[in-house]
Amino acid sequence: MVVDPPRGLYVVLDGMGGANAGDIASQTARDAIRDFVAKRRLTMEPKALLEAAIQYGSAAVWNAAQQARERHGMGTTVVACLVVDAKRALIAHVGDSRAYLLRHGRLQSLTRDHTIVEELIDRGILAPEEADRHPYKNVLSRNLGAKPETRVDMFDLELRPGDRLLLCSDGLYGYASTEAMQYLLGSGDPPETVARDLIDLALRGGGGDNISTIVIEAPQPAPSSTQVVRTTGATAWWQRRARFLQVAKDRGITKNPICRGLPPEEALDLVAASLCQAIFHDLEKSTGVNVWTFAQNVAGGWFERGGEWSAVRGLMDILAMSSRTVVEEIRVADAQLGFLLDVAVSRALVVAELALGGLLAERLRQVDGDLIQLHTAMQETIEASQAELSDSGFIEQATIPFMRPDRPVTSPGVSVELVGAIEKTLTIARARTSPRAELVKQILTSLETIATDASPNFASAVLAARELYGHRTTDDTSIMPLFDALDAARIITASSVHQTSVPDALRAKVLRAISSAHQRLVSAVTGLVLEAVAPYSDRLKEAQQRTSDLRDKVARAERKRAELERKFATTIDQSQPWDKRGVTEW
Amino acid sequence: MSTAPPVARAYDALRPKILQRLLEIRATLDQSLARMDEATARSQIGAVLDHIGNFITTGDLGLHRAFLHTFLAMRAAEAQSPAQVLAMLVAIGDTAAQVSQEESGGTSPALGSAAPGSSVPTSGHGSELTLMLTRVTASTARAVNDLIAEELERRLTQWSDLHTKEGKGLPPS
Repeated sequence: MVVDPPRGLYVVLDGMGGANAGDIASQTARDAIRDFVAKRRLTMEPKALLEAAIQYGSAAVWNAAQQARERHGMGTTVVACLVVDAKRALIAHVGDSRAYLLRHGRLQSLTRDHTIVEELIDRGILAPEEADRHPYKNVLSRNLGAKPETRVDMFDLELRPGDRLLLCSDGLYGYASTEAMQYLLGSGDPPETVARDLIDLALRGGGGDNISTIVIEAPQPAPSSTQVVRTTGATAWWQRRARFLQVAKDRGITKNPICRGLPPEEALDLVAASLCQAIFHDLEKSTGVNVWTFAQNVAGGWFERGGEWSAVRGLMDILAMSSRTVVEEIRVADAQLGFLLDVAVSRALVVAELALGGLLAERLRQVDGDLIQLHTAMQETIEASQAELSDSGFIEQATIPFMRPDRPVTSPGVSVELVGAIEKTLTIARARTSPRAELVKQILTSLETIATDASPNFASAVLAARELYGHRTTDDTSIMPLFDALDAARIITASSVHQTSVPDALRAKVLRAISSAHQRLVSAVTGLVLEAVAPYSDRLKEAQQRTSDLRDKVARAERKRAELERKFATTIDQSQPWDKRGVTEW
Repeated sequence: MSTAPPVARAYDALRPKILQRLLEIRATLDQSLARMDEATARSQIGAVLDHIGNFITTGDLGLHRAFLHTFLAMRAAEAQSPAQVLAMLVAIGDTAAQVSQEESGGTSPALGSAAPGSSVPTSGHGSELTLMLTRVTASTARAVNDLIAEELERRLTQWSDLHTKEGKGLPPS
């Protein structure tokens, strides 16, 4: 045999001839083929190289046979594989040594034996079913050494990741079933182990000592990021569960109101260990269901007991920070694995937030419905004069969820240097604006005011927005030009920042200040639009509530109608003769 | 945030591809997006992507909250529930991270939505961008939940006031 991975050469030979001639033939051919390839691997085209090497081997055996009388007639079979690269291999064979391919768990023979019987079958002289009984079934029609030159069968094989090639002599396949060989090759054991197991199999089947096998494995595909996370990543995470619990404990998880009242160890086990385990199972199975369930159970139970949101937020923050600490530590040890875990664990935390968001939104929906019902009920019980008063009062409140333009904002502070740079930038922006784009110019002025305002609220933005908004109707032709102008101003200022001749660090601050100002302005303008549509939104919500009530009534009426029809049909049916019953159509 | 500028540049370069992918799958993101014509959907999704770009550049959480506040209010005025808005924002963030991961030589290892058969991504701005986008999505989900919780608290106070007034037979002003 030849096993030469650096050159990609693998050869199985099976010699024949009296005394030790068979061994001499196979060894002679082996050495000749190996040396030929070693000398010319880098200079010859692979296909020509392999064929020439085998011819060279055949000539070497024939020459050796000529040198001693007892070696006359000796020869050898050969099956060779030259792996060209990760995607291509060449197979060559002479005689009845075989090459098999295991692909997607199925074993198939790649070669056809060069025996007299096979030749007769090929010519149509012999039926395939007669082959086993034919007296010449083991007589070779070709081998290396019978003549100085021989006919070599060769073909190209496109390799796929995970393919396994088996080269073997008849000592293997003659004593082992194809199914058993397929099972061993597909076991996933290393190729060397599989080769040993195949020989054992043939020996147990009655084979002799001329069993040669080589198992070659095509390179496996690089593991996908999903596979890495599911296997190595999940294991690395689980191995650090004690560390996760420790960090969560250090960050004060046991003092969180949700855990209060429980012994510290129990709290750790019920909350932190549960999340750790949920993340592990979700990493292992590439799902998010365990983390989702965990978040729903913890928050749902807490809300049912009348618990506040701040406790849930505090708990989730501790757990999120603990998981980040653990992932960071993994990242220090193994950057690539840590990166993948970082993404996967961050995603798990998003899943947890999605579950919490679902619970919160459902509670908000219920409270909103209660509010509308409560208000409607009160409207019906008070005097008409009072109702007018109350109507305006209810509308004055912010009834669209999340509409609060007076909310505080973070302000990084504005230095004199920054103010100067902002003014420079907006001067450039104004110069680049078309003289007819009055609205854009007005927005640029507003942006300057807001960007240089250090107060920590939306006041300047709301004031500027009111000026810009003026008196508009809430339709597309009135509102859209305003938003188009806001967008144009954003584009002009963004490109003007890069033309301002200030240091890079200051330029970044200018960009941040103007972006922030722009966003506040857009937010304030949107608030005004929403204010304008608020009465319609209230009516929409009331209408939705009424629609929902009406749907319920319709559903009840439908059920009642169906019940009556069923009763009616039964009554009619029972009045029919026996043979007509059950055929009444409704 | 030391890597923000190169990551922001990587995001800007990838933004058209992300937008295109989001437009292709908008029917699965949100029902209201599915009903819109492409130009309107492009402008709505584009606004979210612009904001993500701003957040990557500035890292300003206050600004992030302000945007989400406005976004939630706008969607609420269209009678969309905050849970739907949250799901849509997360889906946009996930898709952006997935496109980034694909571009950097692998597909998303995200839980529940991973595509098999890809190689482990190499390091670089593309991979950092993937991580950054996942973290932005986490920050978004966290901020949206806080905003919903604040709104819930405000509504509960409103409800409590109305209840008290109803008990006293007062109008609900």
